[in-house]
Formats: sequence, structure tokens, C-alpha cells
Amino acid sequence: MTTATASDVLATTPARRRRYLASARIHLVNLPLSLGMPWLILGSSFVVNLIIYSMLPENPNDPRTTGGIMSIYIFALIAHVVSMTQSFPFALGLSVTRRDFFAGLSLIIVVESAVQGLVLTGLRAIELASAGWGIDMTFFGVPFLVQDNWFLQWVLYSVPFLALSYLAVLFGTIYKRFGQPGMWVSIIGLVLVGGAAAILLTWSESWGVVARFFTETAPLTLIAGYPVILAVLFAGLAWLLLRRATP
Amino acid sequence: MTAVSMRGVTKRYGDFTALDAVSLELRENTIHGLLGRNGAGKTTIMQILTGQNFETAGQVEVFGLHPYENSQVLDRVCFIREAQKYPDGYRVRDALNSAALLFPSWDARFATELVSDFQLRPKQQIKKLSRGQLSAVGVIIGLASRAPLTFFDEPYLGLDAVARQLFYDRLLADYAEHPRTVVLSTHLIDEVSDLIEHVVLVDKGRVLIDEDADVLRGQAVTVTGPTAAVKAFAEGYTELHREELGGFLRVTLAGAHPEPQLRSEGLEFEPVSLQQLVVRTTQQNLDDRKVVL
Repeated sequence: MTTATASDVLATTPARRRRYLASARIHLVNLPLSLGMPWLILGSSFVVNLIIYSMLPENPNDPRTTGGIMSIYIFALIAHVVSMTQSFPFALGLSVTRRDFFAGLSLIIVVESAVQGLVLTGLRAIELASAGWGIDMTFFGVPFLVQDNWFLQWVLYSVPFLALSYLAVLFGTIYKRFGQPGMWVSIIGLVLVGGAAAILLTWSESWGVVARFFTETAPLTLIAGYPVILAVLFAGLAWLLLRRATP
Repeated sequence: MTAVSMRGVTKRYGDFTALDAVSLELRENTIHGLLGRNGAGKTTIMQILTGQNFETAGQVEVFGLHPYENSQVLDRVCFIREAQKYPDGYRVRDALNSAALLFPSWDARFATELVSDFQLRPKQQIKKLSRGQLSAVGVIIGLASRAPLTFFDEPYLGLDAVARQLFYDRLLADYAEHPRTVVLSTHLIDEVSDLIEHVVLVDKGRVLIDEDADVLRGQAVTVTGPTAAVKAFAEGYTELHREELGGFLRVTLAGAHPEPQLRSEGLEFEPVSLQQLVVRTTQQNLDDRKVVL
């Protein structure tokens, strides 16, 4: 008798197709905030650098590069921790399943990374064309990130977004699943593991190997290849933890 | 015609047992009242029924299926939590637009009506809303979702008396036109006693009462009068409550029925309000006396 009624209700009330798309749109509901903020931050960093460099005399021995571009990557990191602490409880409060939420979030992360990478590539092109914004400043063309091939350039800009976003999602999920104690355990655990690795490397005098790894691996593998693997790893771990997380 | 079925559901957090072998069935197309003290387990029950929390043991069925990660079921469920958090920067209309995207039966016109009824403005920042206004947003989402199974967890927090009455009126009116299963958890029992058709009372993780409201109201009576006469009448019935002042006695008796002919002896009969029943029953459970009703 119960099954008869259940299928009545399930059959007669409309279903929502492609719920993960609806769930993704939750992140876009307040566009000025989610779209505007990162570029505002990057923009202000850019303007500050521009003003300072234009006031300094040009010195051929001193290349005018700055790490200001990092700001937009850090923003992605923060924004996606917030996705887990705020958007996750909100979405589950609106009857979204964890699977649909994660799928929607992944869609957003992938598109966001690709689009932001594209914009950065465009800005890099303008930088080259304007000879460093007229004052020979390299803001978007940080040396180890520059590639000759525009497609590869875009890949190089985009992939770190993926890795950092999923790292943030992983931390956010650890927080939702295990609370503050979980956060502390993870951070302390990381520090211990890092410390142990450092001790091992020092004892076996292998720092040179590490240095060579970073300098000899092609930038493409280092900044696009490995981070993709990391991104997938973080995403997989986050999903496993999310399945039993409560909003 | 069961919308919700829980059999022997237990929820433990380490040493603490939040729910202890809870079994209940909620009929379709009925307004159910989920009553109980703070910390009794009402919210835990609703969280488990919506797949947001997980039972330690027992069987849970919503529309015949287990709700966890089941979008077939969850598409038809709306859970308005007492402390629903909205993402930073959300305005009232952002919350409503999100709900519109996710609830298949969402009625946008109804939502707009409710927004003006509750005196909200679509562009207001949710962070800047008062507690009552925040509750109003939740109530609007719950009502306009038209979900076949809607849970309201203490939705009235912060709402003034006028707004509360508005909620009850709108709920009843919409429920009459679009029947659905509503589960309302509340502390203001007398306010909703006319609304509720089925009562579930939970205390310390156990179900104390699981009965239709009409049946419940007929199961007890309060007798007031001269002490001797009342004592004589009360013979044989279980006493739920007693108040004595001077030569007068007032007792609440379970299983007794009003007998108007005894008015000549000075006995006055009053119906026991739902709130009184709930309070008395919970008080009995406090002493772990066997609960009689």
C-alpha cells in the first residue's frame, strides 16, 4: 500500500531535470559579487603597481615584474572555502543532494578557471602589445609562466585555479565534516608531514634534488601537469568526505 | 497513504542518544504537529527525514524511499530550518530566485504576494534583516514551494503576533487549495492547535504521544469544584494534574468525560487545551513515571 502511494506522489509531481545545473546557478545568483570581486582585487593590485613603477626611474638591470597576479588566485582559494561553509548548507537547505551540489560546484570551478585563464591571457596579450603598459612593467607575464604558444599560455593560467579551488573545497569539506578539531588536525598534520619531509631531506642531503626538480621540470608540467593531478586528488577526497557531511 | 515512516530509528552522538527507537508514521495530506521541549529531538527527526543527517539505526522511508541522496524524494520535500543561513551578499530576491530554481512546484506569483504581505522588500540584504524578517523569508519559501512534503522547524521565531497569524492563515488557505503534507514543529502549541490535525510529542528522544488531535482532546478533562465532590468524581481516573486552593480542587483527569448533570454538585468541566496536555504529559515523563493518556 505504501509503494502504491509513493509512486503516485513521485509520478504526479514534476521532477527537476538536470538539478546540478540549477545547483550551479546558485553560485551565480549574485553576479556582481562573484564576478566582480576577484577582478576588483586584481585591478587594484595592478593599479598600485602601475602607479609605483611609473614613479620610479627605469633601470635596465632591474626587471619590472611583480607577483601581484597572485591576488586573484588567493581569492579563488578563499571563495571556494566559502562555497563549502555557506553555499553547501544553503543548497542542502533547499533539498539539493550532495551529489548535485558537488556536480554544480565542479561545473562552476571548471568554467571559472577556464574563463579567468582566458581573461588573463587576453590581458597578457595587451601587456605585450603595449610594451609593458608603456612603462615596461610585467604584471601578467611572470617569467616562469610565459609560453610562446597562446593556447599553452591559457592552460598555464587556468590550471592553478583548478588546483587551488579544489584545495579550498577540500578544506571547506573537512571543516563541515569534522568541524574545527578536524581543521586543526589537518593543518597540524600537514605541518608535521612537511617538517618530517624537511628533516628527511636535510639528513639525506637531498635538497639539491628538490631544487633540480623545480628548475629542470618544464614549466608546463610543473604548473599545468602536476596541479591537474592534484586537483583531481583534492576533488576525489573532498567528494568522499562530503558524502557524510552535514550542512 | 503514508508520506513518512520511521521504524525504530535511533541516533547517537557518541554517548548521547538523541533519538531512541523512534517509530512514527505521518499520513499524506495532513498537517502534523511535531511538539516537544528544546533538545527533545524534533530537529534531529526532521534532519534525518530530509537526508541532511544520518540515522545510527532503524528504517526511514519518505514516500516509500530512503531520503539520503535521493533526488527523487528530495525534489518533493522542502525543509525550512530554524537557523537557515544564506550566503553572504544575498538579498531577499536572491534567496527566492534560488528557491524558484530548485523547487519544481514553485509558485512565483504566490511568493511575490507573500513578500508584500510580510512587508519585505526584494532588494533587502539578508544580513540586515531582523530575526522576524529572516523567519518570514523562510516561511515564504516554505509556502511558495508547494512541495508535497513541507517541514517547518519553529518557523515563527521572531515573528510578531500579526505575522504569525498571517502565516497560519496563508498556510491553511493554501493547504486547502493545494493539499500537501505539512509537518510543523512549534512551541506555541495553543496558537496552532486549531491548525494541527495530528500530534506527535517527542521528549528526550522518545515519542510520547502519536495521536490525532481530535482524539487527543477527547481523552482528558479538567474538573473544578468543592474538594469532596471533585475527589468523588475523580475516583478511578488517572490524575494528570492537581491544584488545590481553600476548599476547592481542580484536577486534570485522563480518560474522564464531562458530565454536565453534575453541575448541581458544583462541578465545572473544562476541555484540556492541547498545550496543557502536552505540558502535563511531558512533566510526567520527567519523573519517568509511566505516561498515561
